[in-house]
Amino acid sequence: MSRLTLLSPLGTTAGDVKPLARRRGNLRGVRVGILDNSKPNAEVLLARVAELLVERAGAGPVTLWRKPGASRPATVIDEVVAGSDVVLTGSAD
Amino acid sequence: MPHLQLVAVTHPLGGIDPKLARAKADGVVDRVIAALTRDPAPPEAASAPVAVTVTAPADIDLFQDFALAEGWSDGMPVLPPTPERVARILGPLAPRGADVIATLAPRRGVATLEAIAANLALAGALPGHLPVVVAAIRALADPRFNLNAIQTTTHPCTPLLIVNGPIAPRLGINAGANALGQGHRANAVIGRAVRLILQNVGGARPGREDRATLGHPGKYSYCLAENEAESPWAPLHVERGFGAAESCVTVCGSEAPHNVNDHGSTSAEALVFALAGTAATTGSNDVYLGGEPLVVLGPEHARTFADSGWSKADVKRVIWERARVRLDRFSPENRERFGVLDPERFRGRLLAEEVALCASPDDLMVIVAGGPGKHSAIIPTFGATRSVTVAIAR
Repeated sequence: MSRLTLLSPLGTTAGDVKPLARRRGNLRGVRVGILDNSKPNAEVLLARVAELLVERAGAGPVTLWRKPGASRPATVIDEVVAGSDVVLTGSAD
Repeated sequence: MPHLQLVAVTHPLGGIDPKLARAKADGVVDRVIAALTRDPAPPEAASAPVAVTVTAPADIDLFQDFALAEGWSDGMPVLPPTPERVARILGPLAPRGADVIATLAPRRGVATLEAIAANLALAGALPGHLPVVVAAIRALADPRFNLNAIQTTTHPCTPLLIVNGPIAPRLGINAGANALGQGHRANAVIGRAVRLILQNVGGARPGREDRATLGHPGKYSYCLAENEAESPWAPLHVERGFGAAESCVTVCGSEAPHNVNDHGSTSAEALVFALAGTAATTGSNDVYLGGEPLVVLGPEHARTFADSGWSKADVKRVIWERARVRLDRFSPENRERFGVLDPERFRGRLLAEEVALCASPDDLMVIVAGGPGKHSAIIPTFGATRSVTVAIAR
């Protein structure tokens, strides 16, 4: 069967893929940030996860930030990074 | 960031009892703890910034299966992006094929001239269409457009391309009868090429990164020209500070059009009823997220406004004043939610008070398009997006 050579329409991706931070072995005393994207029940879910991290793994304190809508960029991101060791975020409908 | 540590919570989350949302947290917390305490695998190396060639079946029908399997296609037949066809589309720009026009969300795909041209080749577009598509891609990458959200939302939105200036008649971009319909190659393939770039380079694959609940038919192609010849007013690009002899493309994060049928009204004062009535709806993103809804006036409706002495600014102002939704037409849950997202317009208001279809009359966009007949259209947007106009290189 004859074959064609084609240029891929996918192109390439930006090359600056960053490695993730090294993990601590446990969560005792880590500052937990919550970035609530304002979707319904996002805060309920994320706050409960944070509560459980405190109860089960000794994490804390917990700080909440809220974006003014899921589709808006997180303008508070620098504050979140400065004030947290781990961050819980991401919620859909 | 394909290597991010994700813990998936089963859908749905919105609209469920908060007790159930808390229970979902209980069900995933062990995986959250694991993701936060165990070192993740290192990311795979980024792909090299060179053109990638692949081999595919030469048989045109088998090629369709190949393109679908590779995720290159929108479901309609596509044409093979051979190096010869891509070179023909690039023409004198071929030596600059590696030039980067934009980086497209969510994949952070690098839209080089060559990658763009490969998608024009897939779409069946012609060399003359390239400058329009390139300008559209520049516009889509403007942060004001909010491409990442448009590409990944559950909302049914997609870029609508409005072409202004002399390039539109030169390329045969339809502005007249059936301007938003089928039958004109330039409209069909320019809009399609942009969609394929968003899918292939931008990485918004339907049902995957593109999370649209329903989508809409404009996601195959959504492109028209303004009917400048039959408009009584300055066209969109001139309104935005470009010269009448310049050619521009404006991108909007748009829903499907909704028709406004008015065969009875013979004055501006009368015609505004149907337009405002159609525009004022409770289910629109624009009403609480602050977008730029578009009014596409058929030339006969536009003429009715102009004959009553109304400017385009008058049309915007009066539609905005009349296209209002009483707060008691929104559910209590939505009033509360919108109060969080837009407290100025929704919080502490009486139920008998009204909100306008968008934040200000200047946010309402008006163009003239279409052929004979007494129809216009309202095209709402994603809301959290601004339209962007970019000049098309000669």
